[in-house]
Amino acid sequence: MTDAPKHPESLSRRDMIAATAAALVTPLLQGGAVSMQPVAGVPGKFLTAAEYALLDELTELIIPADDHSPGARVAAVAAYIDGRLAESLEPDWQARWRSGLQAVDGLSRELNAKPFLEATPDQRVAVLTRMAAGEADPKTAPERFFGELKGWTARGYYTSKIGIHLDQEYKGNVYQRGEFAGYDAK
Amino acid sequence: MTLVKVAPPIEQDVDLTQTYDAVIVGSGAAGGMAAHVLTSRGMKVLMLEAGKKLDINQELRSMQWPYDHPRRGDAPPGSHHLSFNEYTIRKPPYAKGAAFKHVYSYVGGWGGSDYVKNILVDEKEHPYTGSNYAWVRARCLGGKTNIWGRLALRLSDYDFKAKTHDGYGEDWPIAYADLEPYYDKVDLYLGISGVKENLPHLPDSQFQRPSKLNWGEVKLRESLKKAGQVLTPYRAGVTTDGLKHNKYRSKCYGRGACDRRPGGCDIHAVFDSPTGLIYPAVDTGHLTVRPNSTAHACDRRPGGCDIHAVFDSPTGLIYPAMDTGHLTVRPNSTAHEVLVDKNTGRARGVAFLDSVTRKSYEAKGKVVILAASTLESARLLLLSRSPQHPNGLGNSSGHVGHNFCEHVMGPGVTGLIKELVGKPHTLDDGRPGGFYIPRFRNLKDRQPGFIRGYGYEGNSGHSMFPAHVMDTPGFGGQFKRSVRDHAGAFVSMGAFGEVLPRYESYVDLDPETKDAWGIPVLRFHYHFSDNERKMAEDMVATGREMLEAAGIEVVGTDEKVLTEGWSIHELGTARMGNDPKTSVLNQFQQSHDVRNLFVVDGSSHVSASCQNPTWTIMALAWRSCDHLADEFRKGNV
Repeated sequence: MTDAPKHPESLSRRDMIAATAAALVTPLLQGGAVSMQPVAGVPGKFLTAAEYALLDELTELIIPADDHSPGARVAAVAAYIDGRLAESLEPDWQARWRSGLQAVDGLSRELNAKPFLEATPDQRVAVLTRMAAGEADPKTAPERFFGELKGWTARGYYTSKIGIHLDQEYKGNVYQRGEFAGYDAK
Repeated sequence: MTLVKVAPPIEQDVDLTQTYDAVIVGSGAAGGMAAHVLTSRGMKVLMLEAGKKLDINQELRSMQWPYDHPRRGDAPPGSHHLSFNEYTIRKPPYAKGAAFKHVYSYVGGWGGSDYVKNILVDEKEHPYTGSNYAWVRARCLGGKTNIWGRLALRLSDYDFKAKTHDGYGEDWPIAYADLEPYYDKVDLYLGISGVKENLPHLPDSQFQRPSKLNWGEVKLRESLKKAGQVLTPYRAGVTTDGLKHNKYRSKCYGRGACDRRPGGCDIHAVFDSPTGLIYPAVDTGHLTVRPNSTAHACDRRPGGCDIHAVFDSPTGLIYPAMDTGHLTVRPNSTAHEVLVDKNTGRARGVAFLDSVTRKSYEAKGKVVILAASTLESARLLLLSRSPQHPNGLGNSSGHVGHNFCEHVMGPGVTGLIKELVGKPHTLDDGRPGGFYIPRFRNLKDRQPGFIRGYGYEGNSGHSMFPAHVMDTPGFGGQFKRSVRDHAGAFVSMGAFGEVLPRYESYVDLDPETKDAWGIPVLRFHYHFSDNERKMAEDMVATGREMLEAAGIEVVGTDEKVLTEGWSIHELGTARMGNDPKTSVLNQFQQSHDVRNLFVVDGSSHVSASCQNPTWTIMALAWRSCDHLADEFRKGNV
């Protein structure tokens, strides 16, 4: 019926390493250069170039690069969100993003008398700070959009290679040999 | 790639001209166990499964990284998983009027999981009506065992003799001593991991190597011990040492793949963007957002194990049964009636539709065994009306569909272990579960507000996705650092409590609504009572006390009780008993009315206890089928 080993227990060390390697397709990247491949299988783009640039900046402001790990920009979070928007079958959801990004620019004009991307770094932070002020109980359009924006930025970042391996230094999803980490219940 | 390279056995041809010794409806924990026991006793068995036989490893993709999936594990556009909000503000059938192409139950989280789309039923094809109920159904070979939560607990005489203890409901027609040898058999045949604690109310199993506790869990265990309470490593239906007698299953390699998903919250508590959009805008105004939701499994895959260290019915029970040469499996077989001999009133077989072609067939059997799940088996009995059995088969008592019970869940607490903030990240989630705190209420004490009890399932430590991210306020460098520093520093636990069986809690057939195969659907008449609500309050208050006593700061509480059905532990719709007037089955899960009809799934349970039911379902099915095989040999069935 099959030429497989009689007992799975008899698997060789080589088998197991191969299995782990297959799962851990990407070597952990050490700082510096990170090659980002486009996410497979996501069609087209939904956002205009201007909207995309705005989103990209917003995600990086929410999760910026620091001395520990790259930020949302290098993790291509905007591309991920744009991809999800592009393939979505929910026009209402797409419209909410479009109007949300407009609301960011609107708030920037109100506070800084210029669109978000033309504002200074401090002015941009001021806009986001205003949006985040109502995080617990959002009331205005920009405040409501902040939750959506932050949620999807976190989703995109912490499910990326950079988020999982470099920022969180996640150790799992591997075949462990012998005893697992932890303490005996005694 | 998977470590287990043994292909499933070759399937035997289905011969519907033949009268099989037994026809089993359903292939989950109960059906698989019935097949294992009966074929090992030499009986010729035909198993009917309504769903497909899946390439389950391809479905589960247990080790897939989120970034290797185009939607980070989410379901494709056009698919929607129901959220807590929808279950709450709408009434069944939940998929009615949905703009989405496919609608699934809540299992999977976030935008819904891409890993369960062929395992769970499409709610559009499988409607039900009546009161709010989150009904999770898996139609495929193995059913829900493909994605179950793995907590494998025994019941005790505190459960079997609960009426004797507190006067409510009915005692079971068996005692722990009757079932103990069969629990042992299940442990040894399927593998279970845990630590002996010598508790009268949570008997120990024949454990293989336990998973370990992490730092925060040990801290909580030590604190509870001072108060005379127990925290024990998750008792998982997982083989940690391996099983020499089963070539289809590997031992556990601590990948944690059974308890991980790319992220997201399975109750859509955190953010719920697509949810309000599929239905008319009028609904969206009522959406509520649950705050402080870290206690829930925001980081959980739907379960499943592609090396089958976790028990599942196909590799654990069905494939070995096929290897005996005595088991024939027919997938895509939607049973809709147990057929009865006009003269004798005995069961003679099962009428079914091919799920794909929708052609009608009959399978003939000397014995009919229902194992279609608590609710589907009850539905099948109610559908099987005949002149001899006008209220449905085996329903002379009128109790089929009644005494419906389960576990109430939702309430829980989350604590922050300050000592772990900013510490290097460790490997904590490479194990099949965290910990379990067994029932402690109404054992020796009498609670003023409620009877029976509850246990907590909990977890601590690092996971792939930092679930606390949406509860971390703000943005920017400080936010990012805070998420990083706090990762792994939380402990969360949620309770599962016993829901009392009541005659008024029941399902019946909807007189109008039919499923996609034209079969009448179930209508729910089921609500939690005050006992459950009082118990739920205690779950939060006591959880808070436990964490605080251990010096763990409580940072979140969940007070809300999740929709009925959420625990996926439905039980009791065809209960056992000694009195044919008030019960459907005898102590061997045999119909009081029809001697060659058995119902071996959770519908037979007399009360829900607060322990997860899968292991008890299998121990009972083993005991009943042992008895059935004895009687069959003697010609008594």
